[in-house]
Amino acid sequence: MYYPEPISKLIDSFTKLPGIGPKTAVRLAFFVLNMKDDDVMDFANSLVNAKRELTHCSTCGHITDKDPCAICQDDTRDGSIICVVQDPKDVIAMEKMKEFNGKYHVLHGAISPMDGIGPEDINVPDLINRLKEEDVNELILATNPNIEGEATAMYISRLVKPSGIKTTRIAHGLPVGGDLEYADEVTLSKALEGRRDL
Amino acid sequence: MFIDQLTLKHYRNYEKLDVTFDDKINVIIGENAQGKTNLMEAIYVLAFTKSHRTPREKELIQWNEEYGKIEGRLTKRNQSIPLEIILSTRGKKAKLNHLEQKRLSDYIGAFNVVMFAPEDLTLVKGPPQIRRRFIDMELGQIQPRYIYHLGQYQKILKQRNMLLKQMQRKEVQDKTMLSVLTEQLAQHAATLLERRFLFLELLRKWARPIHDGISRQLEDLEIQYNPTVDVSEEANKEIIETVYLNKFQEIEEKEIERGTTLCGPHRDDLTFYVNQKDVQTYGSQGQQRTTALSVKLAELELIYNEVGEYPTLLLDDVLSELDDYRQSHLLNTIQGKVQTFVSTTSVDGINHSTLQNAELFRVHNGTVEKES
Repeated sequence: MYYPEPISKLIDSFTKLPGIGPKTAVRLAFFVLNMKDDDVMDFANSLVNAKRELTHCSTCGHITDKDPCAICQDDTRDGSIICVVQDPKDVIAMEKMKEFNGKYHVLHGAISPMDGIGPEDINVPDLINRLKEEDVNELILATNPNIEGEATAMYISRLVKPSGIKTTRIAHGLPVGGDLEYADEVTLSKALEGRRDL
Repeated sequence: MFIDQLTLKHYRNYEKLDVTFDDKINVIIGENAQGKTNLMEAIYVLAFTKSHRTPREKELIQWNEEYGKIEGRLTKRNQSIPLEIILSTRGKKAKLNHLEQKRLSDYIGAFNVVMFAPEDLTLVKGPPQIRRRFIDMELGQIQPRYIYHLGQYQKILKQRNMLLKQMQRKEVQDKTMLSVLTEQLAQHAATLLERRFLFLELLRKWARPIHDGISRQLEDLEIQYNPTVDVSEEANKEIIETVYLNKFQEIEEKEIERGTTLCGPHRDDLTFYVNQKDVQTYGSQGQQRTTALSVKLAELELIYNEVGEYPTLLLDDVLSELDDYRQSHLLNTIQGKVQTFVSTTSVDGINHSTLQNAELFRVHNGTVEKES
Protein backbone atom coordinates (compact mmCIF):
# COMPACT_ATOMS: atom_id res chain seq x y z
CA MET A 1 0.00 0.00 0.00
CA TYR A 2 1.44 3.32 -1.07
CA TYR A 3 -1.14 5.46 0.74
CA PRO A 4 -1.88 5.90 4.45
CA GLU A 5 -5.13 4.18 5.32
CA PRO A 6 -7.46 7.21 5.56
CA ILE A 7 -6.67 8.37 2.08
CA SER A 8 -6.75 4.94 0.52
CA LYS A 9 -10.23 4.53 2.03
CA LEU A 10 -11.27 7.84 0.50
CA ILE A 11 -9.92 6.75 -2.88
CA ASP A 12 -11.89 3.53 -2.61
CA SER A 13 -15.03 5.50 -1.84
CA PHE A 14 -14.59 7.71 -4.87
CA THR A 15 -14.13 4.74 -7.19
CA LYS A 16 -17.61 3.58 -6.16
CA LEU A 17 -19.09 6.56 -8.00
CA PRO A 18 -20.12 6.12 -11.64
CA GLY A 19 -17.66 7.42 -14.20
CA ILE A 20 -14.78 7.62 -11.71
CA GLY A 21 -11.81 5.40 -12.43
CA PRO A 22 -8.81 4.79 -10.16
CA LYS A 23 -6.82 7.79 -11.46
CA THR A 24 -9.63 10.30 -11.10
CA ALA A 25 -10.33 8.90 -7.64
CA VAL A 26 -6.74 9.61 -6.57
CA ARG A 27 -6.95 13.13 -7.99
CA LEU A 28 -10.23 13.81 -6.18
CA ALA A 29 -8.97 12.37 -2.90
CA PHE A 30 -5.87 14.58 -2.92
CA PHE A 31 -8.01 17.54 -3.83
CA VAL A 32 -10.16 16.89 -0.76
CA LEU A 33 -7.01 16.93 1.42
CA ASN A 34 -6.32 20.49 0.30
CA MET A 35 -9.88 21.72 0.77
CA LYS A 36 -10.90 23.96 3.68
CA ASP A 37 -12.17 22.08 6.72
CA ASP A 38 -15.58 23.75 6.54
CA ASP A 39 -16.03 22.85 2.91
CA VAL A 40 -15.16 19.26 3.61
CA MET A 41 -17.67 19.17 6.47
CA ASP A 42 -20.35 20.67 4.23
CA PHE A 43 -19.57 18.15 1.55
CA ALA A 44 -19.75 15.22 3.94
CA ASN A 45 -22.97 16.51 5.47
CA SER A 46 -24.68 16.98 2.15
CA LEU A 47 -23.78 13.43 1.22
CA VAL A 48 -25.25 12.07 4.43
CA ASN A 49 -28.30 14.35 4.37
CA ALA A 50 -29.15 13.64 0.78
CA LYS A 51 -29.25 9.99 1.63
CA ARG A 52 -31.00 10.39 5.00
CA GLU A 53 -33.59 13.04 4.30
CA LEU A 54 -34.73 12.15 0.83
CA THR A 55 -37.43 9.58 0.36
CA HIS A 56 -39.65 8.57 -2.51
CA CYS A 57 -43.01 10.28 -2.74
CA SER A 58 -45.70 7.78 -1.76
CA THR A 59 -47.93 8.99 -4.58
CA CYS A 60 -45.70 9.40 -7.62
CA GLY A 61 -42.38 7.88 -6.60
CA HIS A 62 -40.33 11.00 -7.29
CA ILE A 63 -37.50 11.83 -4.87
CA THR A 64 -38.57 14.32 -2.23
CA ASP A 65 -37.78 15.63 1.23
CA LYS A 66 -41.44 15.75 2.24
CA ASP A 67 -44.20 13.31 1.43
CA PRO A 68 -46.19 13.82 -0.78
CA CYS A 69 -43.79 15.71 -2.99
CA ALA A 70 -44.13 19.34 -4.05
CA ILE A 71 -45.43 18.42 -7.49
CA CYS A 72 -48.13 16.12 -6.12
CA GLN A 73 -49.21 18.77 -3.62
CA ASP A 74 -49.36 21.57 -6.18
CA ASP A 75 -53.09 22.20 -6.81
CA THR A 76 -52.42 24.45 -9.77
CA ARG A 77 -51.19 21.43 -11.72
CA ASP A 78 -53.57 19.37 -13.78
CA GLY A 79 -54.03 16.04 -12.01
CA SER A 80 -55.95 14.55 -14.93
CA ILE A 81 -52.79 14.09 -16.98
CA ILE A 82 -50.06 11.81 -15.69
CA CYS A 83 -46.70 11.50 -17.36
CA VAL A 84 -45.01 8.14 -16.71
CA VAL A 85 -41.19 8.24 -16.65
CA GLN A 86 -38.48 5.73 -15.78
CA ASP A 87 -36.31 7.82 -13.53
CA PRO A 88 -36.44 10.84 -11.16
CA LYS A 89 -33.92 12.51 -13.47
CA ASP A 90 -36.52 12.33 -16.23
CA VAL A 91 -38.93 14.36 -14.07
CA ILE A 92 -36.26 17.03 -13.69
CA ALA A 93 -35.72 17.03 -17.45
CA MET A 94 -39.45 17.43 -18.08
CA GLU A 95 -39.72 20.16 -15.47
CA LYS A 96 -36.90 22.16 -17.02
CA MET A 97 -39.05 22.38 -20.12
CA LYS A 98 -41.71 24.29 -18.09
CA GLU A 99 -44.38 23.26 -20.59
CA PHE A 100 -45.92 20.30 -18.90
CA ASN A 101 -48.46 21.14 -16.25
CA GLY A 102 -49.70 17.69 -15.34
CA LYS A 103 -48.39 15.29 -12.73
CA TYR A 104 -45.85 12.49 -12.87
CA HIS A 105 -45.38 8.89 -12.04
CA VAL A 106 -41.84 7.56 -11.64
CA LEU A 107 -41.36 3.85 -12.32
CA HIS A 108 -37.73 3.52 -11.15
CA GLY A 109 -36.75 1.23 -13.97
CA ALA A 110 -38.18 -0.69 -16.89
CA ILE A 111 -39.51 -4.21 -17.19
CA SER A 112 -36.71 -6.59 -18.12
CA PRO A 113 -37.15 -10.32 -17.53
CA MET A 114 -33.41 -10.82 -18.10
CA ASP A 115 -32.57 -8.67 -15.11
CA GLY A 116 -35.37 -10.27 -13.13
CA ILE A 117 -37.40 -7.05 -13.17
CA GLY A 118 -41.12 -7.66 -13.57
CA PRO A 119 -44.03 -5.17 -13.50
CA GLU A 120 -44.42 -5.55 -9.73
CA ASP A 121 -40.75 -4.65 -9.18
CA ILE A 122 -41.20 -1.21 -10.68
CA ASN A 123 -43.90 1.22 -9.63
CA VAL A 124 -46.63 -0.24 -11.89
CA PRO A 125 -49.06 -1.55 -9.22
CA ASP A 126 -49.01 1.89 -7.56
CA LEU A 127 -49.79 3.48 -10.90
CA ILE A 128 -52.80 1.22 -11.42
CA ASN A 129 -54.12 2.03 -7.93
CA ARG A 130 -53.61 5.68 -8.59
CA LEU A 131 -55.62 5.49 -11.80
CA LYS A 132 -58.47 3.89 -9.85
CA GLU A 133 -58.45 6.48 -7.10
CA GLU A 134 -57.73 9.66 -9.01
CA ASP A 135 -59.65 11.16 -11.86
CA VAL A 136 -57.22 10.71 -14.74
CA ASN A 137 -57.98 11.38 -18.40
CA GLU A 138 -54.67 10.85 -20.06
CA LEU A 139 -51.56 8.82 -19.41
CA ILE A 140 -48.44 9.95 -21.27
CA LEU A 141 -45.89 7.15 -21.53
CA ALA A 142 -42.47 8.77 -21.58
CA THR A 143 -40.23 5.74 -20.98
CA ASN A 144 -36.93 5.56 -22.86
CA PRO A 145 -37.04 4.75 -26.56
CA ASN A 146 -35.15 1.46 -26.26
CA ILE A 147 -36.41 -2.11 -26.21
CA GLU A 148 -37.11 -2.27 -22.46
CA GLY A 149 -38.67 1.19 -22.30
CA GLU A 150 -40.82 0.42 -25.31
CA ALA A 151 -41.94 -2.91 -23.83
CA THR A 152 -42.78 -1.20 -20.53
CA ALA A 153 -44.86 1.43 -22.32
CA MET A 154 -46.71 -1.21 -24.32
CA TYR A 155 -47.31 -3.24 -21.17
CA ILE A 156 -48.79 -0.32 -19.26
CA SER A 157 -50.96 0.72 -22.18
CA ARG A 158 -52.42 -2.78 -22.31
CA LEU A 159 -53.20 -2.78 -18.61
CA VAL A 160 -54.85 0.60 -18.83
CA LYS A 161 -56.75 0.13 -22.08
CA PRO A 162 -59.85 -1.58 -20.55
CA SER A 163 -60.38 1.40 -18.23
CA GLY A 164 -60.87 3.70 -21.22
CA ILE A 165 -58.17 6.16 -20.11
CA LYS A 166 -56.40 7.66 -23.10
CA THR A 167 -52.78 6.48 -23.29
CA THR A 168 -50.23 8.25 -25.47
CA ARG A 169 -46.58 7.58 -26.26
CA ILE A 170 -44.09 10.41 -26.68
CA ALA A 171 -42.80 10.78 -30.22
CA HIS A 172 -39.24 9.92 -31.15
CA GLY A 173 -37.32 11.28 -34.03
CA LEU A 174 -35.14 14.18 -34.99
CA PRO A 175 -33.73 16.58 -32.42
CA VAL A 176 -35.03 20.09 -32.86
CA GLY A 177 -32.58 22.58 -34.32
CA GLY A 178 -30.47 19.77 -35.76
CA ASP A 179 -29.62 19.03 -39.34
CA LEU A 180 -31.27 16.18 -41.16
CA GLU A 181 -27.96 15.09 -42.67
CA TYR A 182 -26.40 14.47 -39.25
CA ALA A 183 -29.16 12.20 -37.96
CA ASP A 184 -28.27 8.53 -37.78
CA GLU A 185 -30.25 6.15 -39.97
CA VAL A 186 -32.17 4.53 -37.13
CA THR A 187 -33.44 7.85 -35.78
CA LEU A 188 -34.21 9.05 -39.26
CA SER A 189 -36.29 6.00 -40.11
CA LYS A 190 -38.15 6.36 -36.77
CA ALA A 191 -38.84 9.97 -37.64
CA LEU A 192 -40.15 8.91 -41.02
CA GLU A 193 -42.42 6.30 -39.43
CA GLY A 194 -43.84 8.90 -37.09
CA ARG A 195 -44.49 11.56 -39.71
CA ARG A 196 -47.77 13.44 -39.56
CA ASP A 197 -50.12 15.49 -41.70
CA LEU A 198 -49.46 19.16 -42.10
CA MET B 1 -11.48 -2.45 -53.30
CA PHE B 2 -8.21 -3.67 -51.93
CA ILE B 3 -5.99 -3.38 -48.91
CA ASP B 4 -2.43 -2.41 -49.69
CA GLN B 5 -0.91 -1.88 -46.30
CA LEU B 6 -1.30 -3.86 -43.12
CA THR B 7 0.25 -3.21 -39.74
CA LEU B 8 -0.11 -5.58 -36.82
CA LYS B 9 0.93 -5.10 -33.26
CA HIS B 10 0.69 -7.77 -30.58
CA TYR B 11 -1.68 -9.76 -32.74
CA ARG B 12 -1.66 -13.52 -32.08
CA ASN B 13 1.92 -14.60 -32.88
CA TYR B 14 2.83 -11.30 -34.54
CA GLU B 15 4.83 -9.03 -32.27
CA LYS B 16 5.05 -6.36 -34.92
CA LEU B 17 4.38 -6.50 -38.62
CA ASP B 18 4.37 -3.97 -41.41
CA VAL B 19 3.68 -5.31 -44.86
CA THR B 20 2.59 -3.99 -48.25
CA PHE B 21 0.38 -6.13 -50.46
CA ASP B 22 -0.38 -6.29 -54.14
CA ASP B 23 -3.83 -5.25 -55.29
CA LYS B 24 -4.25 -8.54 -57.16
CA ILE B 25 -2.98 -11.93 -56.02
CA ASN B 26 -0.93 -12.38 -52.85
CA VAL B 27 0.29 -15.85 -52.01
CA ILE B 28 1.18 -16.49 -48.40
CA ILE B 29 3.52 -19.47 -48.08
CA GLY B 30 4.72 -21.04 -44.90
CA GLU B 31 5.01 -24.20 -42.88
CA ASN B 32 2.30 -25.13 -40.43
CA ALA B 33 1.94 -23.05 -37.26
CA GLN B 34 3.94 -20.08 -38.57
CA GLY B 35 1.10 -17.54 -38.76
CA LYS B 36 -0.55 -17.87 -42.19
CA THR B 37 -4.07 -18.18 -40.87
CA ASN B 38 -3.40 -15.50 -38.25
CA LEU B 39 -2.53 -13.11 -41.05
CA MET B 40 -5.71 -14.00 -42.93
CA GLU B 41 -7.69 -13.70 -39.73
CA ALA B 42 -6.28 -10.22 -39.08
CA ILE B 43 -7.59 -9.05 -42.46
CA TYR B 44 -10.93 -10.63 -41.65
CA VAL B 45 -11.09 -8.92 -38.26
CA LEU B 46 -10.25 -5.61 -39.92
CA ALA B 47 -13.39 -6.03 -42.01
CA PHE B 48 -15.82 -7.54 -39.51
CA THR B 49 -14.31 -6.48 -36.14
CA LYS B 50 -14.58 -10.11 -35.07
CA SER B 51 -12.82 -13.31 -35.86
CA HIS B 52 -14.24 -16.20 -37.83
CA ARG B 53 -12.43 -18.61 -35.55
CA THR B 54 -13.26 -17.53 -32.05
CA PRO B 55 -15.83 -15.41 -30.24
CA ARG B 56 -13.28 -14.59 -27.51
CA GLU B 57 -11.40 -11.44 -28.44
CA LYS B 58 -8.77 -11.98 -25.79
CA GLU B 59 -7.34 -14.81 -27.85
CA LEU B 60 -6.49 -12.38 -30.64
CA ILE B 61 -4.10 -10.44 -28.46
CA GLN B 62 -0.58 -11.76 -28.21
CA TRP B 63 0.03 -13.91 -25.19
CA ASN B 64 0.74 -11.87 -22.03
CA GLU B 65 0.03 -8.54 -23.74
CA GLU B 66 -2.59 -5.99 -22.74
CA TYR B 67 -3.65 -4.85 -26.15
CA GLY B 68 -3.29 -5.59 -29.83
CA LYS B 69 -3.79 -3.51 -32.92
CA ILE B 70 -4.60 -4.05 -36.58
CA GLU B 71 -4.23 -1.19 -39.00
CA GLY B 72 -4.88 -1.26 -42.69
CA ARG B 73 -5.10 1.08 -45.61
CA LEU B 74 -8.10 0.41 -47.75
CA THR B 75 -8.42 1.72 -51.27
CA LYS B 76 -12.00 2.04 -52.36
CA ARG B 77 -13.37 4.09 -55.26
CA ASN B 78 -9.85 5.47 -55.75
CA GLN B 79 -9.88 6.84 -52.23
CA SER B 80 -7.58 5.75 -49.49
CA ILE B 81 -9.29 5.02 -46.19
CA PRO B 82 -7.36 4.13 -43.02
CA LEU B 83 -8.94 1.41 -40.89
CA GLU B 84 -7.96 0.53 -37.37
CA ILE B 85 -9.04 -2.06 -34.83
CA ILE B 86 -7.72 -1.79 -31.31
CA LEU B 87 -8.18 -4.87 -29.17
CA SER B 88 -7.73 -4.72 -25.46
CA THR B 89 -8.66 -6.89 -22.54
CA ARG B 90 -11.36 -4.35 -21.73
CA GLY B 91 -12.98 -4.28 -25.16
CA LYS B 92 -12.31 -3.17 -28.68
CA LYS B 93 -12.43 0.01 -30.69
CA ALA B 94 -12.99 0.35 -34.40
CA LYS B 95 -11.74 3.45 -36.17
CA LEU B 96 -12.69 4.49 -39.66
CA ASN B 97 -10.71 7.38 -41.09
CA HIS B 98 -9.15 7.85 -37.62
CA LEU B 99 -12.61 8.36 -36.10
CA GLU B 100 -13.91 5.89 -33.59
CA GLN B 101 -17.20 4.28 -34.59
CA LYS B 102 -19.34 3.56 -31.56
CA ARG B 103 -21.81 1.46 -33.45
CA LEU B 104 -20.46 -1.60 -35.23
CA SER B 105 -23.01 -1.11 -37.98
CA ASP B 106 -21.27 2.18 -38.79
CA TYR B 107 -17.97 0.38 -39.28
CA ILE B 108 -18.82 -2.95 -40.87
CA GLY B 109 -19.44 -2.62 -44.54
CA ALA B 110 -16.62 -0.16 -45.19
CA PHE B 111 -14.27 -3.00 -46.09
CA ASN B 112 -15.88 -6.01 -47.75
CA VAL B 113 -14.21 -9.37 -47.37
CA VAL B 114 -15.20 -12.83 -48.47
CA MET B 115 -13.35 -15.66 -46.80
CA PHE B 116 -13.16 -19.22 -47.95
CA ALA B 117 -11.55 -21.43 -45.32
CA PRO B 118 -11.68 -25.16 -44.66
CA GLU B 119 -14.47 -24.49 -42.14
CA ASP B 120 -16.61 -23.14 -44.95
CA LEU B 121 -16.80 -26.57 -46.47
CA THR B 122 -19.14 -27.28 -43.57
CA LEU B 123 -21.51 -24.59 -44.85
CA VAL B 124 -23.49 -27.33 -46.54
CA LYS B 125 -23.13 -30.27 -44.19
CA GLY B 126 -22.69 -28.52 -40.86
CA PRO B 127 -25.38 -27.50 -38.36
CA PRO B 128 -27.96 -24.81 -39.25
CA GLN B 129 -26.30 -22.08 -37.16
CA ILE B 130 -23.38 -22.05 -39.62
CA ARG B 131 -25.77 -21.22 -42.43
CA ARG B 132 -27.61 -18.62 -40.36
CA ARG B 133 -24.30 -17.02 -39.44
CA PHE B 134 -23.34 -17.01 -43.10
CA ILE B 135 -26.53 -15.14 -44.01
CA ASP B 136 -26.15 -12.69 -41.13
CA MET B 137 -22.49 -11.87 -41.86
CA GLU B 138 -22.90 -11.48 -45.59
CA LEU B 139 -26.14 -9.57 -45.39
CA GLY B 140 -24.62 -7.39 -42.69
CA GLN B 141 -21.69 -6.32 -44.81
CA ILE B 142 -23.80 -5.16 -47.72
CA GLN B 143 -26.58 -3.77 -45.54
CA PRO B 144 -25.29 -2.36 -42.25
CA ARG B 145 -28.85 -1.65 -41.05
CA TYR B 146 -29.39 -5.40 -40.92
CA ILE B 147 -26.85 -5.72 -38.10
CA TYR B 148 -28.80 -3.19 -36.06
CA HIS B 149 -32.08 -5.05 -36.57
CA LEU B 150 -30.42 -8.36 -35.80
CA GLY B 151 -29.07 -6.95 -32.53
CA GLN B 152 -32.48 -5.63 -31.53
CA TYR B 153 -34.06 -8.96 -32.40
CA GLN B 154 -31.55 -10.91 -30.31
CA LYS B 155 -32.13 -8.61 -27.35
CA ILE B 156 -35.90 -9.07 -27.46
CA LEU B 157 -35.43 -12.79 -27.97
CA LYS B 158 -33.35 -13.04 -24.82
CA GLN B 159 -35.96 -11.12 -22.83
CA ARG B 160 -38.75 -13.26 -24.19
CA ASN B 161 -36.93 -16.53 -23.54
CA MET B 162 -36.28 -15.47 -19.98
CA LEU B 163 -39.93 -14.59 -19.48
CA LEU B 164 -41.04 -17.91 -20.97
CA LYS B 165 -38.68 -19.69 -18.59
CA GLN B 166 -40.20 -17.79 -15.67
CA MET B 167 -43.66 -18.73 -16.92
CA GLN B 168 -42.63 -22.34 -17.29
CA ARG B 169 -41.59 -22.34 -13.64
CA LYS B 170 -44.91 -20.63 -12.83
CA GLU B 171 -43.08 -17.64 -11.32
CA VAL B 172 -45.01 -15.40 -13.67
CA GLN B 173 -48.66 -16.05 -14.55
CA ASP B 174 -49.63 -12.82 -16.28
CA LYS B 175 -49.67 -13.14 -20.04
CA THR B 176 -49.77 -9.43 -20.81
CA MET B 177 -46.01 -9.04 -20.76
CA LEU B 178 -45.63 -12.07 -23.01
CA SER B 179 -47.98 -10.56 -25.56
CA VAL B 180 -45.97 -7.32 -25.48
CA LEU B 181 -42.69 -9.12 -26.13
CA THR B 182 -44.33 -11.29 -28.77
CA GLU B 183 -45.47 -8.21 -30.61
CA GLN B 184 -41.99 -6.67 -30.45
CA LEU B 185 -40.38 -9.92 -31.55
CA ALA B 186 -42.78 -10.43 -34.47
CA GLN B 187 -42.08 -6.92 -35.69
CA HIS B 188 -38.31 -7.40 -35.74
CA ALA B 189 -38.58 -10.98 -37.00
CA ALA B 190 -40.55 -9.69 -39.98
CA THR B 191 -37.88 -7.08 -40.73
CA LEU B 192 -35.16 -9.73 -40.66
CA LEU B 193 -37.09 -12.23 -42.73
CA GLU B 194 -38.00 -9.69 -45.40
CA ARG B 195 -34.33 -8.77 -45.78
CA ARG B 196 -33.21 -12.38 -45.80
CA PHE B 197 -35.69 -13.22 -48.54
CA LEU B 198 -34.29 -10.44 -50.71
CA PHE B 199 -30.73 -11.60 -50.03
CA LEU B 200 -31.62 -15.16 -50.95
CA GLU B 201 -33.06 -14.03 -54.24
CA LEU B 202 -29.75 -12.33 -55.09
CA LEU B 203 -27.68 -15.27 -53.87
CA ARG B 204 -29.64 -17.67 -56.07
CA LYS B 205 -29.31 -15.40 -59.04
CA TRP B 206 -25.50 -15.38 -58.80
CA ALA B 207 -24.85 -18.88 -57.46
CA ARG B 208 -26.73 -20.83 -60.12
CA PRO B 209 -24.68 -19.81 -63.19
CA ILE B 210 -21.45 -20.19 -61.20
CA HIS B 211 -22.36 -23.68 -60.07
CA ASP B 212 -23.31 -24.52 -63.61
CA GLY B 213 -19.82 -23.49 -64.70
CA ILE B 214 -17.93 -25.31 -61.98
CA SER B 215 -19.89 -28.52 -62.51
CA ARG B 216 -19.38 -28.36 -66.30
CA GLN B 217 -23.10 -27.92 -66.88
CA LEU B 218 -23.86 -31.18 -65.10
CA GLU B 219 -25.44 -29.84 -61.95
CA ASP B 220 -28.32 -27.55 -61.26
CA LEU B 221 -28.17 -25.72 -57.93
CA GLU B 222 -31.22 -24.60 -56.03
CA ILE B 223 -31.14 -22.84 -52.67
CA GLN B 224 -34.18 -22.96 -50.45
CA TYR B 225 -34.80 -20.85 -47.38
CA ASN B 226 -36.82 -22.64 -44.69
CA PRO B 227 -38.53 -20.23 -42.32
CA THR B 228 -40.36 -21.43 -39.22
CA VAL B 229 -43.55 -19.91 -40.55
CA ASP B 230 -45.46 -20.60 -43.72
CA VAL B 231 -45.06 -17.45 -45.78
CA SER B 232 -44.32 -16.62 -49.39
CA GLU B 233 -40.95 -15.03 -50.20
CA GLU B 234 -42.76 -12.24 -52.00
CA ALA B 235 -44.70 -11.23 -48.89
CA ASN B 236 -44.09 -7.75 -47.53
CA LYS B 237 -43.17 -6.91 -43.95
CA GLU B 238 -46.73 -6.34 -42.76
CA ILE B 239 -47.92 -9.69 -44.03
CA ILE B 240 -44.91 -11.50 -42.53
CA GLU B 241 -45.55 -9.82 -39.19
CA THR B 242 -49.18 -10.97 -39.16
CA VAL B 243 -48.12 -14.50 -40.04
CA TYR B 244 -45.65 -14.49 -37.12
CA LEU B 245 -48.24 -13.12 -34.70
CA ASN B 246 -50.73 -15.84 -35.67
CA LYS B 247 -48.08 -18.52 -35.34
CA PHE B 248 -47.02 -17.29 -31.90
CA GLN B 249 -50.63 -17.34 -30.76
CA GLU B 250 -50.99 -20.89 -32.01
CA ILE B 251 -47.90 -22.19 -30.20
CA GLU B 252 -48.18 -20.11 -27.03
CA GLU B 253 -48.98 -23.03 -24.72
CA LYS B 254 -46.18 -25.08 -26.20
CA GLU B 255 -43.67 -22.25 -25.80
CA ILE B 256 -44.57 -21.80 -22.14
CA GLU B 257 -44.32 -25.54 -21.60
CA ARG B 258 -40.88 -25.64 -23.22
CA GLY B 259 -39.82 -22.32 -21.74
CA THR B 260 -38.30 -20.95 -24.94
CA THR B 261 -39.16 -19.22 -28.21
CA LEU B 262 -39.83 -21.88 -30.82
CA CYS B 263 -40.36 -19.80 -33.91
CA GLY B 264 -38.48 -17.00 -35.65
CA PRO B 265 -35.46 -16.24 -37.85
CA HIS B 266 -33.13 -17.64 -35.17
CA ARG B 267 -34.40 -21.13 -36.03
CA ASP B 268 -34.49 -20.86 -39.82
CA ASP B 269 -32.26 -22.82 -42.15
CA LEU B 270 -31.10 -23.14 -45.73
CA THR B 271 -31.26 -26.24 -47.90
CA PHE B 272 -29.11 -26.68 -50.96
CA TYR B 273 -30.41 -28.90 -53.74
CA VAL B 274 -28.31 -30.24 -56.58
CA ASN B 275 -30.38 -31.75 -59.36
CA GLN B 276 -33.36 -31.72 -56.99
CA LYS B 277 -31.53 -33.73 -54.34
CA ASP B 278 -30.74 -32.34 -50.90
CA VAL B 279 -26.94 -31.99 -50.94
CA GLN B 280 -26.60 -32.17 -47.17
CA THR B 281 -28.11 -35.65 -47.05
CA TYR B 282 -27.58 -37.12 -50.48
CA GLY B 283 -24.71 -35.15 -51.98
CA SER B 284 -21.18 -36.51 -52.31
CA GLN B 285 -18.24 -34.79 -50.58
CA GLY B 286 -17.35 -33.28 -53.92
CA GLN B 287 -20.85 -31.91 -54.46
CA GLN B 288 -20.89 -30.41 -50.99
CA ARG B 289 -17.58 -28.71 -51.69
CA THR B 290 -18.65 -27.44 -55.07
CA THR B 291 -21.83 -26.06 -53.57
CA ALA B 292 -19.93 -24.22 -50.84
CA LEU B 293 -17.53 -22.86 -53.45
CA SER B 294 -20.35 -21.71 -55.75
CA VAL B 295 -22.04 -19.89 -52.90
CA LYS B 296 -18.80 -18.16 -51.89
CA LEU B 297 -18.02 -17.12 -55.43
CA ALA B 298 -21.60 -15.91 -55.83
CA GLU B 299 -20.92 -13.59 -52.92
CA LEU B 300 -18.15 -11.90 -54.86
CA GLU B 301 -20.59 -11.05 -57.64
CA LEU B 302 -23.34 -10.18 -55.21
CA ILE B 303 -21.16 -7.70 -53.35
CA TYR B 304 -19.86 -6.31 -56.63
CA ASN B 305 -23.41 -5.60 -57.69
CA GLU B 306 -24.54 -4.14 -54.38
CA VAL B 307 -21.43 -2.18 -53.48
CA GLY B 308 -19.97 -1.44 -56.88
CA GLU B 309 -16.56 -3.01 -56.23
CA TYR B 310 -15.28 -6.52 -55.72
CA PRO B 311 -14.52 -7.46 -52.11
CA THR B 312 -11.16 -8.82 -51.01
CA LEU B 313 -11.09 -12.61 -51.15
CA LEU B 314 -9.29 -14.69 -48.53
CA LEU B 315 -8.55 -18.28 -49.50
CA ASP B 316 -7.18 -19.88 -46.40
CA ASP B 317 -5.68 -23.26 -47.13
CA VAL B 318 -8.49 -24.33 -49.43
CA LEU B 319 -6.81 -24.41 -52.80
CA SER B 320 -5.25 -27.76 -51.99
CA GLU B 321 -8.69 -29.11 -51.10
CA LEU B 322 -10.00 -28.55 -54.59
CA ASP B 323 -9.27 -30.61 -57.68
CA ASP B 324 -7.43 -29.15 -60.68
CA TYR B 325 -10.54 -28.24 -62.58
CA ARG B 326 -12.15 -26.42 -59.65
CA GLN B 327 -8.87 -24.74 -58.78
CA SER B 328 -8.49 -23.29 -62.22
CA HIS B 329 -12.14 -22.34 -62.39
CA LEU B 330 -11.73 -20.46 -59.15
CA LEU B 331 -8.54 -18.76 -60.25
CA ASN B 332 -10.01 -17.82 -63.61
CA THR B 333 -12.98 -16.22 -61.90
CA ILE B 334 -10.87 -13.94 -59.77
CA GLN B 335 -8.14 -13.26 -62.27
CA GLY B 336 -7.33 -9.62 -62.64
CA LYS B 337 -10.33 -8.23 -60.78
CA VAL B 338 -10.40 -9.41 -57.18
CA GLN B 339 -7.68 -8.78 -54.63
CA THR B 340 -7.00 -12.24 -53.29
CA PHE B 341 -4.95 -13.70 -50.49
CA VAL B 342 -4.08 -17.35 -50.90
CA SER B 343 -2.44 -19.20 -48.05
CA THR B 344 -0.76 -22.51 -48.70
CA THR B 345 2.10 -24.63 -47.47
CA SER B 346 3.57 -24.84 -50.94
CA VAL B 347 2.94 -23.58 -54.45
CA ASP B 348 4.11 -26.79 -56.06
CA GLY B 349 1.38 -28.55 -57.91
CA ILE B 350 -0.60 -25.40 -58.55
CA ASN B 351 0.26 -24.65 -62.14
CA HIS B 352 -1.83 -21.71 -62.95
CA SER B 353 -0.70 -18.56 -64.67
CA THR B 354 -2.53 -16.48 -62.06
CA LEU B 355 -0.27 -17.77 -59.33
CA GLN B 356 2.88 -17.43 -61.35
CA ASN B 357 2.33 -13.70 -61.63
CA ALA B 358 1.44 -13.32 -58.00
CA GLU B 359 3.37 -11.66 -55.21
CA LEU B 360 4.86 -14.23 -52.87
CA PHE B 361 5.13 -13.75 -49.13
CA ARG B 362 6.93 -16.20 -46.92
CA VAL B 363 5.69 -16.50 -43.36
CA HIS B 364 8.09 -17.75 -40.76
CA ASN B 365 7.46 -17.69 -37.04
CA GLY B 366 5.54 -14.42 -36.89
CA THR B 367 7.48 -12.59 -39.60
CA VAL B 368 6.52 -12.01 -43.21
CA GLU B 369 9.00 -11.57 -46.00
CA LYS B 370 8.25 -10.56 -49.52
CA GLU B 371 9.97 -12.72 -52.14
CA SER B 372 11.20 -11.11 -55.26
